[in-house]
Amino acid sequence: MKWFINIWRTLNKPAKFLTLGTVSLSAFLMGIIFWGGFNTALEMTNTEEFCISCHSMESKPYQELQETVHWSNHSGVRATCPDCHVPHNWSRKIGRKIEASHDMWGWLLQTVNTSEKFEAKRLEMASREWKRFDRDNSLACKNCHNYDSMKWDSMSKLAQKQMKRAAKLDQSCIDCHKGIAHKLPDMGTSRAPELIAQVGSGENTPQSEQTYFTALTKPLFYNDKTDVEAGTLNIATKVKVLETKGNRVKVGIDGWRKKIGAGRVIYYDFGLNILSAQLTKDAALEEGVIETFEEKEDPMTGLKWQRVEAQIWTDKDYLVSDLQPLWDYARDTYTTSCSVCHTQPDEAHFDANTWPGMFQGMIAFVNMDQDTQALVQKYLQEHSSTFDKTSH
Amino acid sequence: MNRRDFLKGLVSTSYVVLSGASVLAPLNALAASGAKSKDGWLTTGSHFGAFKMKRKNGVIDQVKPFDLDKYPTDMINGIKGLVYNPSRVRYPMVRLDFLLKGHKSDTTQRGDFRFVRVTWDKALHLLKDSLDEVQTKYGPSGLHAGQTGWRATGQLHSSTSHMQRAIGMHGNFVKKVGDYSTGAGQTILPYILGSTEVYAQGTSWPLILEESNTIILWSNDPYKNLQVGWNAETHESFAYLAQLKEKVKQGKIRVISIDPVVTKTQKYLGCEQLYVNPQTDVALMLGIAHEMVTKKLHDEKFIEGYSLGFDRFLPYLLGESDGVAKTPEWASEITGVSPEIIRDLAKVMTKGRTQMMMGWCIQRQQHGEQPYWMAAVLATMIGQIGLPGGGISYGHHYSSIGVPSSGAAAPGAFPRNLDEDQKPLFDSNDFKGASSTIPVARWIDAIMEPGKTIDANGSKVTYPDIKMMVFSGNNPWNHHQDRNKMKQAFQKLECVVTIDMNWTATCRFSDIVLPACTTFERNDIDVYGSYANRGILAMQKMVEPLFESLSDFEIFTRFAAVMGKEKAYTRGMTEKDWLIKLYDDCKAANAGKFDMPDFESFWKEGYVHFGEGKPWTRHADFRDDPEINPLGTPSGLIEVFSRKIAQFNYDDCPGHPTWMEKTERSHGGPGSDKFPVWMQSCHPDKRLHSQMCESKEYRETYTVQGREPVYLSPVDAKKRGIKDGDLVRVFNDRGQLLAGAVVSDSFPQGVIRIHEGAWYGPVGEDGSKEGGAEIGALCSYGDPNTLTQDIGTSKLAQACSAYTCLVEFDKYQGKVPEVSSFNGPVETQI
Repeated sequence: MKWFINIWRTLNKPAKFLTLGTVSLSAFLMGIIFWGGFNTALEMTNTEEFCISCHSMESKPYQELQETVHWSNHSGVRATCPDCHVPHNWSRKIGRKIEASHDMWGWLLQTVNTSEKFEAKRLEMASREWKRFDRDNSLACKNCHNYDSMKWDSMSKLAQKQMKRAAKLDQSCIDCHKGIAHKLPDMGTSRAPELIAQVGSGENTPQSEQTYFTALTKPLFYNDKTDVEAGTLNIATKVKVLETKGNRVKVGIDGWRKKIGAGRVIYYDFGLNILSAQLTKDAALEEGVIETFEEKEDPMTGLKWQRVEAQIWTDKDYLVSDLQPLWDYARDTYTTSCSVCHTQPDEAHFDANTWPGMFQGMIAFVNMDQDTQALVQKYLQEHSSTFDKTSH
Repeated sequence: MNRRDFLKGLVSTSYVVLSGASVLAPLNALAASGAKSKDGWLTTGSHFGAFKMKRKNGVIDQVKPFDLDKYPTDMINGIKGLVYNPSRVRYPMVRLDFLLKGHKSDTTQRGDFRFVRVTWDKALHLLKDSLDEVQTKYGPSGLHAGQTGWRATGQLHSSTSHMQRAIGMHGNFVKKVGDYSTGAGQTILPYILGSTEVYAQGTSWPLILEESNTIILWSNDPYKNLQVGWNAETHESFAYLAQLKEKVKQGKIRVISIDPVVTKTQKYLGCEQLYVNPQTDVALMLGIAHEMVTKKLHDEKFIEGYSLGFDRFLPYLLGESDGVAKTPEWASEITGVSPEIIRDLAKVMTKGRTQMMMGWCIQRQQHGEQPYWMAAVLATMIGQIGLPGGGISYGHHYSSIGVPSSGAAAPGAFPRNLDEDQKPLFDSNDFKGASSTIPVARWIDAIMEPGKTIDANGSKVTYPDIKMMVFSGNNPWNHHQDRNKMKQAFQKLECVVTIDMNWTATCRFSDIVLPACTTFERNDIDVYGSYANRGILAMQKMVEPLFESLSDFEIFTRFAAVMGKEKAYTRGMTEKDWLIKLYDDCKAANAGKFDMPDFESFWKEGYVHFGEGKPWTRHADFRDDPEINPLGTPSGLIEVFSRKIAQFNYDDCPGHPTWMEKTERSHGGPGSDKFPVWMQSCHPDKRLHSQMCESKEYRETYTVQGREPVYLSPVDAKKRGIKDGDLVRVFNDRGQLLAGAVVSDSFPQGVIRIHEGAWYGPVGEDGSKEGGAEIGALCSYGDPNTLTQDIGTSKLAQACSAYTCLVEFDKYQGKVPEVSSFNGPVETQI
């Protein structure tokens, strides 16, 4: 300990030979050198090169990123690791760096050094990042993407509907856009998690010629490859699987449409406003997507309806073989959420076409995500007096 | 039964009236019961807003508005009186003859206000025995526990949830559909605009202030009605009304209030008023529509693209179908509005951006569906539905509608329904061929004519034979019409149970009365702003429950214990467990979107703020793409003509909006030769319905000789020799009441106003409280529903028609009875 005390004494003594100016100047220069070094080191750790110097980063997240639009796109703008994962403002950057030193342990302990270990940890790691995105309302995304600069007109109507709602709330991007730069962990879903926990995320390999029901509202696509959306398939809709290719299935949707506009909306049955699917205008007009059959006039509105069958692609997830668990979840949600202020009316108190008006007219009082709202409305319609003739 | 028999009945029952020594215990005596809590400032809220309250020596000492409340209501001065007032229900009490004879009691005595104090244990066992008897003898159709109302705020102690969960654990019962406030509107509008509209979020005020050129307030008084809300009210709408006032002053927005009377809003905004004869609004709208068509002012493109059936309405408008063209001249005859003004209105409403804002009063009249439908047709003809600052709304006077919503999730509530795995003790669902759900305002008819079948909203309803009613936090002896008819009906009931904090008239006509504590005597949680969802409010207990009152949670937990179902009722959770669960569930629902601290921090702070919302336009998505975003109507479009309604074949609600004469209408209408004056009984300015009428000192700031004010025109006053401050008797063939005259030139000739919510206080000819049981008894305080008509709006909604009511009035000359509405029952011992 003696050497330590000696050093301490020396340091504690006022300078004997150097002027105060020399001391200050050298401290200043040292400061600059130190600071510069620190910053250089910091910046070094903030490069893509540094990030992927670990094998586990290079082999999984980096490879996955290269397959996405954030890596290559027609405008040539690329988002690299730190753009999304390190805050841009200085003090928060430092905080993030300190936080990230935790990863060193992971490296030392070889926590994710194999593909299996990485996959097992993927959900945990992704959740940590999502939480961070949640905390700053997806600021990293918003450094480049801005609700105010979005050109609604160039979006599809369906995208507009979703995005305008999100813009209204200045919603956090990650709420919906998970798994866009790296593979989505196997986690059920971020949408309506309680519902999915109850009904499951569907069959691994849907069988051809079998009928399934959608456990969430799902995007539709033109073919088995493209990411161009052709519409949406509503929740709790019956579809028949016609063909499977990779992660996609081609499904058949039977129903009726109103002969107004482009005929983009497919309903459950003649004269019933129970939504099955909404197609984009292009998809509705595309050769081979919709096959048409007989027409009838609905006496309640005077509108012409036409029986149709659509054949179109969707991802093979969230297709469940049993409808009942969806209805059970919907009934439970309905009786809980809609009895906060008053007794909820019996399902069969209104008919299928009156329910949307009643339900939409009260929804401002209720907390339900969009999938659950759509499910509960469909539940009420399919259990309404139109179907249940036993009620008064 | 005549009066002589009635008095004999009084004499033959042996009882002692207790001297009213402790009617209102002094505050310091009450302090003892609140001594457990520490003094200091706490946070809480109510329908009247959020507050900071100071507790001193165990009593509520001061009430001041919550920091965020920039426009607190004057009613804050009545809050203390809700807790400390002589009308508090202090103990469980049972009606004298019911205690003696149970279900075989002499029900003509009901309302004589003689009650006997019993223990909680006795009262809860009586309740259980009565339910047993009714379920055994009559089954579920004998019990109606579905009538619910405005309760007190708080998601955990919501009184109607507790009552229905507990009673539902015992057995099934008759329920209601609809409500008194918006019964006709919420039934017709889903067919026309695809949603109830009355309870839907509306276009945000900032957009209206920015975009509107003209605002039509049709029978709408937001400045009065926005003082209260379904949850803790933020009063944020008042900031927008202040901006509107400024814009009116600068001539930037023209606001026209179409109303027979000068409203509080009109006075505040300094805007224009257009007088219209009461109940003739549909005729006025038709006149405007006729002018629009004649001058081609209507938006044919919008009608074509967004609505159905205008072509089937046009022949009626033009008179081709019934031989009467609905010209401005035709409308003028009925409405008292000159043809020139009607023509001008058509021009004004179609020039620039026009926002129509409908109040709820005009749908609480016979054919109340029609003005809402016709107003929607006018808005369709103007063609601005879905544009910011244009179109039509039916709720901008209600509970922060129009204040941009934060988008956060609000806390849920204690469950109203039985848990999935639970079965009632009496599980029969045999309603004996009668309906299990009846339109809300038809229950008195059902009691009087069981088995009768009526039309309602496209189906048939058969009235159940109701023998027992249970109410909690609900006062139908305020909101239902025609007191003397109600008295007759109640004589047919075997048992009536009411849980309340104060001796409302519903308690007076009950057999078992249980004391609930007030909002300020329990811990709870609420959303701040029903539609704004501005934050989460802690409702911290100010004082311990007064007297023997208990929280709703405690009352029904004890009742569940009597049924042997305590654990099933509470799920084995304490009051505090539930509070934390409601908070944590809400926190989970907001996870990732809105930060909420842990429960302990929240409770300490008293509030979580969710921030501001973004402006929004109603029906903009529909306007944008009606195919992808259809309305909830049968066609998905606005239905000017509804085939669905037409095929019901109702004479009083045909397939398109129609002007129909009323059974009673002033200003030359039917019945006006006998009773020439129209009485409006709108929502009060200084109460929430009947809540706060019991707040004594506050009530005394507006009563006249201790009575509810009746507002009347100088012309009518002079004609009857009445001066401001006189006692006035208001009467018709249905009843009579005393009220205090307030002569005001805000009221036109032939129109009077008595605010609903004035506590019913019947007295016998001798002025006694006991005599109040008699049919035809005078109301000593001035409850307008002593005089209103109990008929359905139409076969469609079967909603209440309080506004179709004619009366006469004169200066009261008789012996002046004491007001019998307050101070509780005639306490009796046996």
